[in-house]
Amino acid sequence: MTALLAGLPEPAYLLELRSTRMAALELGLLAVAGGVSGAFVVLRRLAFFSHAVGTATFPGLVVAGAAGFSARLAALAVAVAYALGTDRAARSGRDPGGAATGLMLVAALGAGTILASDVFESGAGVDRLLFGTAVALNGSDLAVAGGAAALTLVAAALLGRTWTAVSFDPSGAAALGVPDRRAEVALLLLVAVTAVAALPAVGSLLVTSLFVVPAAVARLFAGSVASLVALSVTIAVAQALLGLYASLWLDVPPGPAIAVLGAATYAVASLVLALPFAARRTPAEVAL
Amino acid sequence: MPVGPIELLIDPWSSGIDRRALLEVLLLGCVCGPLSFWVKSYRLAYPSESLAHGLLPGLVLGALAGAPLLLGAGAGVAVAAVAVALAGRDERIGSDTATAVVVSGAFGLGVLLALRPEAPTRLQELLFGDPLGVTDTDLAAAGGLVLVGGAALLLLHRPLVAVAFDRASAGAAGLAPGKVRVALLLVLAAAVAVAVQGLGSLLVLAVLAAPAAAVGDRASTPGRAMAAGAAVAAGAGVVGIYSSFHLGGAAGASVALALCAAAAVGGLRDGVRRRGRPGPTAA
Amino acid sequence: MSAAVTVEDAAVGYGGPPVLAGVTFSAGRGTSVCVLGPNGGGKTTLFRAMMGQLPLSGGRLWVDGRPAYVAQSGHARLDFPVSGLDVALMGTLGGRWWLPARKADRERASDALRRVGLADRAGIRFGELSGGQRQRVLIARALVQDSAVLLFDEPLAGIDPTSAETIGAVFAELRAEGRTLLVSSHDVEGALAFDAVLCLNGSQVAYGHPNEVLDRQALQDTYGSELIVLPGGGDGEPRHAVAVQHHDH
Repeated sequence: MTALLAGLPEPAYLLELRSTRMAALELGLLAVAGGVSGAFVVLRRLAFFSHAVGTATFPGLVVAGAAGFSARLAALAVAVAYALGTDRAARSGRDPGGAATGLMLVAALGAGTILASDVFESGAGVDRLLFGTAVALNGSDLAVAGGAAALTLVAAALLGRTWTAVSFDPSGAAALGVPDRRAEVALLLLVAVTAVAALPAVGSLLVTSLFVVPAAVARLFAGSVASLVALSVTIAVAQALLGLYASLWLDVPPGPAIAVLGAATYAVASLVLALPFAARRTPAEVAL
Repeated sequence: MPVGPIELLIDPWSSGIDRRALLEVLLLGCVCGPLSFWVKSYRLAYPSESLAHGLLPGLVLGALAGAPLLLGAGAGVAVAAVAVALAGRDERIGSDTATAVVVSGAFGLGVLLALRPEAPTRLQELLFGDPLGVTDTDLAAAGGLVLVGGAALLLLHRPLVAVAFDRASAGAAGLAPGKVRVALLLVLAAAVAVAVQGLGSLLVLAVLAAPAAAVGDRASTPGRAMAAGAAVAAGAGVVGIYSSFHLGGAAGASVALALCAAAAVGGLRDGVRRRGRPGPTAA
Repeated sequence: MSAAVTVEDAAVGYGGPPVLAGVTFSAGRGTSVCVLGPNGGGKTTLFRAMMGQLPLSGGRLWVDGRPAYVAQSGHARLDFPVSGLDVALMGTLGGRWWLPARKADRERASDALRRVGLADRAGIRFGELSGGQRQRVLIARALVQDSAVLLFDEPLAGIDPTSAETIGAVFAELRAEGRTLLVSSHDVEGALAFDAVLCLNGSQVAYGHPNEVLDRQALQDTYGSELIVLPGGGDGEPRHAVAVQHHDH
């Protein structure tokens, strides 16, 4: 055990590296985006969608990487198309049980892996596409992450109340005079776009580590939507930075490290809340 | 050198590796194809996927320890199922979100364990399958699944039909719908644990969901639907191995894509049929 | 007294043939209309058409302003992290949804909660209120919208007597303020207290003052086999009541 701890790198040392500072800043910004939209993802029960939209981009990333055009644009095209398709399918009530979506993701992953390993023979880079990287992030990734954070904050400021009203009471919301349909599409598109921003850092398979898990932990404690958002962002940033540290220490990609840390936090939090002395102290009086 | 059609058909069987792969997909198809009908009827695609992703740490630990994959997969599935069940009890979070948390944590853990530089594991094969690496143990496991899983499905057939058709009346008639569903989930978990060797954690859903999607709603009885599912699954599996042999693509992914293609064809046919009929008017 | 709602030979459907047709009535300001009919008979369909959620497949429909709508509280999510006040505040979103809640909005929401008798419970989480209290919160949300026309979807179904009384008092106040109420219900007896009754069963069976319109034939046409006849009304006339099958929606 002591040997393990002795191997822990000094955070100060890590931060001297430019690549670490870049990764920390980027993950921090992505955590802001993920924490804020994650709050509404959890309220609106869109957890699976955020996982799927990331996964669906995988073959696009492989093709773009091999053909030499912008991976980010390819991923964006796929993600937006998937979001719009999901909205359409949800309206017509297709695919109860999720089989069609699941198969679509299987096809995306299968096609991506064949393209990567046998057609383009870029097999070595597949891990990066699937799980992200802490050391190979560049300035444009950082700029995109900043844009995603800003976009999310603006969108939440404008649409947050509407999203809340619609999630709370879908049938009654339309009568309130809010653009309920367009707000739904906007949320799907926001998640899609910010997931694409997160792809370089956490990879296409672990978007939920920033977009669902921190918000789920926050949901266990939050008594109002505003506190849910605030708590979600705080937890997301903390987990992103700690996860980055762990990933640099263990020499693994950041996506899995953040996911494991997040799930562990969730487990501990649920256990603590389930204990008798802490039981059912859900805030009956909500602060006004 | 031009290869004639006979050679095209026979060549894979002459290679020991591919012969075992073909046997594996045939066996898997025989049990997962029929099972797919119940996955569709009971809307178990999302739980199947969660089990498949959630068992990864078990798979990796088993591989690291040098144990047969089946053991790791079995343990992984069991732990994942329990974790998902426990997490899903919090009403505020909802079972979908709770499952997502458990699955991403477990999956991340598996990847983390597999990618540590001191522990080389063939993560790609665990994720995308390795039918060409099938051992005799794996084949025995697949055979066992056919026997045990098949027997279970036969035994449970009438209760499964009754509960799927009308859960409430089945309960009133003396069946225990909850127990029937749990029994089905057990068979499903076993199927996932066995099939994950050939298709990998990420692609195994194909063999459990695609056959029923390919068959669609066209069969007249559950038995016929299940038989058709078996045929589709086995056929697609064989097509996948053949295409991998002749075209060189990864075998597991080829099988998965063949299954998805079958599902797409079935979905298109259903879609065309649906557009031809006027829909019911809502109350 | 000008009309707040005018409907002429309206027909509404969900994309296929109309599920509700031949609706013609006009409701003046400050009046209350009880909408009677079996499940699936078109009550909710009419409301949705009045809210503009469903296009007409024929006829005309006009409503003064955007109507407020109160559905049954069972449709709202009980696990949501919102208090009664938060829900009432949602009524202020209309037309200004992109802005944060102002102090004036909060005051309106508090006032509305006071009107429905929940001023002391404004901070309690919505899901922890009783059924009747939840229904009252949803009514408060509708009050905040300050609409000329209010639509209530079976507001008294399964509600405790205290809440029912409060709700009845609110209805009277709204009428006195000159607003128009349409209340769908299964309570034939209760319909006698309204200004007008609208009977729907796929089409309009009757419209008018309850004393003139609610005869046995009209009820028979509206409810058909769901209708039961109880003996011993006030003046020897048999009382009618409706046995309602509540289907799972």
